Amino acid sequence: MRAWIRLILPANYMDRQRRAGFLFVLPAVLFFSSVFLVPLIQSVIGSFYRTRPGGASEFVGVRLYEKVFTDSTFWTSVVNTVSLLSMSVPTTVILAMAAALGLNRIQSLKWRNVWAAMYFLPFSASLVAAALIWQWIYDPVYGFLNYLLSAVGIPPQKWLQSLTQVRPSIAVVNVWVRLGFDTMIFLAALQSIPGEYWEAAAIDGAGAWQRLRHITLPLLNPQIIMVCILELIFNFKIFDQVYSTTQGGPASASQTVIMLLYDTAFKYFRMGDASVMAVFVFLTLLVVTLLQWRIFRKPVEY
Amino acid sequence: MGRGGARGPTRAPLFRRVALLRVACGAISAFFPFFWMAVTSLKTAPEIQRVPLQVFPDSWANWQNYREVFTRHPFGRYLLNSALIASTAAVSSLVVSSLAGYGFAKFRFPGRDVFFFGIIGILMVPFQSVVVPLYGWVSRLGLLDTYLGIVAPDLVSVFGVFLMRQAIEVLPNDYIDAARIDGCSELQIFFRVVLPSVKPAMATLLIIKFMWNWNELFWPLIVVNSPSMRVVTMGLISFTNMYFIEYNLLTAAAVISVLPILLIFLTLQRWVVQAVVMSGLKG
Repeated sequence: MRAWIRLILPANYMDRQRRAGFLFVLPAVLFFSSVFLVPLIQSVIGSFYRTRPGGASEFVGVRLYEKVFTDSTFWTSVVNTVSLLSMSVPTTVILAMAAALGLNRIQSLKWRNVWAAMYFLPFSASLVAAALIWQWIYDPVYGFLNYLLSAVGIPPQKWLQSLTQVRPSIAVVNVWVRLGFDTMIFLAALQSIPGEYWEAAAIDGAGAWQRLRHITLPLLNPQIIMVCILELIFNFKIFDQVYSTTQGGPASASQTVIMLLYDTAFKYFRMGDASVMAVFVFLTLLVVTLLQWRIFRKPVEY
Repeated sequence: MGRGGARGPTRAPLFRRVALLRVACGAISAFFPFFWMAVTSLKTAPEIQRVPLQVFPDSWANWQNYREVFTRHPFGRYLLNSALIASTAAVSSLVVSSLAGYGFAKFRFPGRDVFFFGIIGILMVPFQSVVVPLYGWVSRLGLLDTYLGIVAPDLVSVFGVFLMRQAIEVLPNDYIDAARIDGCSELQIFFRVVLPSVKPAMATLLIIKFMWNWNELFWPLIVVNSPSMRVVTMGLISFTNMYFIEYNLLTAAAVISVLPILLIFLTLQRWVVQAVVMSGLKG
């Protein structure tokens, strides 16, 4: 308490220094408190209150949680989201690793940068632009993809308009957008590995596959875990791609958790239900992040 | 992208050629949608409906779609809105983040570590979890449908505070103390000594923040009502709100929306890649 009083009424040079430091961080602290901390607490509190038409709200305990967690619409969106990310996350990580390994082998720095730039380009498009370009490629009548299929004799598919194909189709968009980002992280890590490691293994008679399995992948373990977690979080929060194309359709086949949260709050104005979903999203991603920290704290054995 | 030269074990030329082929195939598939967007934007409506499909446009100088994008919707206004919002967010978060970064890196005061780890902890709070109360605040303050309302949650970024603290922490203390002995005030030290030494970090933050906010959809969608306040991402979606989507117009609009970021990326590739790799490391 005395420290705080001296922060406001500095007595000497050291106190003035402390006050200066405090004032430097104050704007950021105030901002984050009002934009994240207070609203997060409000979200948690809001999930226990039902707002009556007219504005009065009443405490209902966990009844909104019971309502949302017994609602099949909610579970459909959770299952859809998990099904989407279980397709796009492994695909992105594996393809990014393959691309980074290939790029790392290119000798000329100039050409490596040119090829890397091509992988990275999709990252500069907004998710909306990316999804809409792909919607045009997927177009059942005039789309490029069905044109390619017809060239090899496969009948046209409905892609985003099909109950079974809509989720894999959106997963492809996610892979396309995120591939360059993951590749860059892997490539940066690969370039920090001394070349002698591979040379030594090659002299000992290790084949290409053995070198990959026993040297490269173990050394990249921290980056692989990090990229997996980042992809899980990114894909769990999928919204823009779905909102701009299918709007959750056809027949809720691409309804995701954040889409449902958005509709519940800003289309049907059921703020209590939306707060329950907000708490659910927060806790789910919290578990994922804490898991990441636990895994990261383990030292990597070289 | 780091050092050049040979990496990895020596390989037979054939093996290397196969690897290059794989890289090239991947890069071309990554690039194709961009190519498809560009050629579609140069076609007329009958051209994109031709059967069998025709890859290249009849004329490479058909700019009609680009003109029509601006007459069909106030797309110029959308671009202006996005530019305003993204640059405000970038500059404001640069100022607040570097102030905070300096405070966290070079001062001791009660509660410093609690504040710092509190801010880093916010990385674990998804924006979607706070959006409902935030909407309530913005609405109560009368900021719905205003620039301030759209930009408010993006004025500072956790990544920025983290980045600037890391950059300022490695500056030698003697440097700052020397300025202090010369009689500079704390703010003078900040602007004349600290900021000029962390220009790379500042550039990184500006680029990545501008990119993020230019491409944002979720929050603007919630606070914007009137068509004149729409941002570019919403503008793109307004081309799909018809029974039949005119993809030649939509792709032209998409090209325009991607162009600023693409130009930043191509001219500053090294910075952008560094920025993105760092923003990924934030966790």
